[in-house]
Amino acid sequence: MIREKTKLLELNNITKDFSGTRALDDVSIDLFEGEVHCLIGENGAGKSTLIKILSGAEKPDRGIIKIFGKSYLKLEPRESINLSISTIYQDVDLVDTLTVADNIFLGNEIAYSYGAINAKEQVRRARDIMERLNIKIDVKKLVEELSPAQQQTLQIVKALYRDARIIIMDEPTSSLGQEETKALMELIRTITSKGVGVLYISHYLEEVFEIGDRITVLKDGKKINTYNTENIRVDAIIKDMVGREASLFYKRERVPIGKTMAKIMAYSRGEVVKNVTFDVREGEIFGIGGLVGSGRTELVNLLFGIDKRESGSFTLDGREITPSTPKEAIEKGLCMIVENRKDDGLFLIRSVKENIGIVHTDKSNFVIQLKNEIGLVRQMIQRLRIDVSGLDQEVGNLSGGNQQKSIMARWLLTNARLFIFDEPTKGVDIGSKEEIYKFMTELAREGKAIIMVSSDMPELLSMSDRIGIMRSGELVKIIDSHNATEEKILTEFFGLGATN
Amino acid sequence: MSGNKKTRLVDKIVKNQWFFLLLVVVLLSIAAGLINYRFFGIRNILNILEQISVLGLVAAGATIVIISGNFDISVGSMIGLSAVIMAMLMIRGVNEVLAGCIGILVCILCSSINGFFTIVLGAPSFIISLATLGVYHGVALAITEGVIQTIYGQFETISNTKVFGFLPLMFVISVGGYLFIHMILKYTKIGRRVFAIGNNRRAAFLAGINVKSNTLLFFGLNGFLVGVAAVVLLSRLGAALPTTGAGLELKAIGAVVIGGVPITGGMGNAVGTFLGVLLIGVISNMLNLSRVNPYFQEIAYGSLIILSVAVGSLRVGVMKRG
Repeated sequence: MIREKTKLLELNNITKDFSGTRALDDVSIDLFEGEVHCLIGENGAGKSTLIKILSGAEKPDRGIIKIFGKSYLKLEPRESINLSISTIYQDVDLVDTLTVADNIFLGNEIAYSYGAINAKEQVRRARDIMERLNIKIDVKKLVEELSPAQQQTLQIVKALYRDARIIIMDEPTSSLGQEETKALMELIRTITSKGVGVLYISHYLEEVFEIGDRITVLKDGKKINTYNTENIRVDAIIKDMVGREASLFYKRERVPIGKTMAKIMAYSRGEVVKNVTFDVREGEIFGIGGLVGSGRTELVNLLFGIDKRESGSFTLDGREITPSTPKEAIEKGLCMIVENRKDDGLFLIRSVKENIGIVHTDKSNFVIQLKNEIGLVRQMIQRLRIDVSGLDQEVGNLSGGNQQKSIMARWLLTNARLFIFDEPTKGVDIGSKEEIYKFMTELAREGKAIIMVSSDMPELLSMSDRIGIMRSGELVKIIDSHNATEEKILTEFFGLGATN
Repeated sequence: MSGNKKTRLVDKIVKNQWFFLLLVVVLLSIAAGLINYRFFGIRNILNILEQISVLGLVAAGATIVIISGNFDISVGSMIGLSAVIMAMLMIRGVNEVLAGCIGILVCILCSSINGFFTIVLGAPSFIISLATLGVYHGVALAITEGVIQTIYGQFETISNTKVFGFLPLMFVISVGGYLFIHMILKYTKIGRRVFAIGNNRRAAFLAGINVKSNTLLFFGLNGFLVGVAAVVLLSRLGAALPTTGAGLELKAIGAVVIGGVPITGGMGNAVGTFLGVLLIGVISNMLNLSRVNPYFQEIAYGSLIILSVAVGSLRVGVMKRG
């Protein structure tokens, strides 16, 4: 390098609040041309908020965005694109039914003077771009015929064609295999050698160390440190990611744990869940942790009969129940509080009453005993302190916390034995969060068993009695929570445990 | 506290589309009476009730189907098919009651076929019923060879009977249809499933509801009401053609939408549908009395649907601001 590298991007003291939660707290980072700058941190560390600020989807409360030396207080989406920033999300946004070439030129079509698209020229130029980047994709193929990796690659090509100088990649490898990841790394090296700067977000430390020139660690909305990759070791990074203040950990009351209630044996589904075996005892909260894509949600979906398992058996209270549909699972005494409550849990335009009563009422007589139903729903609203204006209020108008409590109330009315919570406090305010924790503890005290999937490290550590760690579809280790530390768990998440 | 209760009551009334509908029906009726004094004549009113009874039964069935997030646009063809089958059976000396039951079963079967393909193919029921619309009509054409099947004087009991000496039995049957749907929606778990599946299929599935078998059941119930409508219509006309009942499907969907069911399903009730049907009846009667060119009636009817959708979205806007 002879000449000084230009700074493409600089974020200074960016702060952003979301309804009381500080998503970003005084974060400053920068990006040079030809550089890969990696951002790492757990869920909720603020990575996606940072991306949104750069792509113009959110505006910061405080701080300055500098792009090519020019300062902005906020960006509009259009502005961001015009400033040659391009964001590539986990979910591919391409038009499946168009060809590769058509997708590259979508919105910027090359046309004849009379208006029709010049397909030949588009194909020629698309081939040209592919060749220069050393990519082997047939530009005449339809996007739906491409593999996920090829689609990911195509997105990058599309961004480059639009003269993107700053490319943000959000978990680009989460749906890719090993070979494909390698190819993507190659492509990133090619484009950075042409002067493009890449902001690379990933959960996978291995990748980050392979591709990154610098690494910035974010935790709970704060920037911890930025390192040059060659001067830093993995364990130092992990140290940065852990070590939260004690106040962030909920002090959960421990309740006596009884005999084994549920035995889950050899659950498998393709590459997503591989041969998972564990058991849960009465009064126990069994936490399941792991990185995004490690198969946590997929596992509980199999347990509840939502997806088809390839193998596995489920024993509850000594009886084999192995449910194949949610209906069967519910009849056998399971229930599941889903992660995505708006899409998968709630009937948003229906009343609180119907939302809470639905499962109980569906198991009762053909003719609904309305008075009885109202009474039960009232009890639940009181017991869980759900804040509603009336039983007929639309559930869609409740806050996240009250919606979550409504779903919990629904299952409480069913006398379920085993509760599966998938991200129990996602999108829930702090007050409700504590109430939900208390409530889970109460369930445990009553002798119910709980399986809890959580990406929230303090939650996983403070609520679980034991923690099962998933990595690439396998349940690799079960740790007792009193001798678990953030560091130990993260090390297992990343698969670095064997060296210790 | 009492003030609070009062505003809640007002809230409830304003939030219900049926309140507006009732208002519109009443205002329109007064206008109609002012324009033409014969509107309020007992005979005219009974006439309106008679005219809307077939549409009412079809619309009652459509209420359940649309709330559950589905469509059945083949009901007009079903009625044609069922009516010609009943008429042909009666001509060949089959007992009227038996023929009527067979007619109802034909509609239950046809509607269930729509439901079956919808759940098995996972296709929108709109498309499936668009296809079967042609199929059922074709079957009716094939078995009749397009010839009208007349049974004058043979099957008039239903259309001629007056309850308490004045109320048309047809209308009473129609009210029975609304009540049937109202009871199901409000007081049975099937009703809860209709709303749940219509609002959020995935959440319904995860709450342990068998979405497929219930969808089939909703179509079956729809078929039952359509079948009853076919029986009533046949009795009223005394003859059947494959085209008998054509156009009813769209009017029924229109009535349901006017009655406040969003096209995406998930909410609504039978009272709204009743008022929607009544409104259609009142307007068409008004135009008839004023000797408006019948072609304009179609225009009026179309405008009415647009208007009701507009009122619906206005209401949503007001609620969001409030």
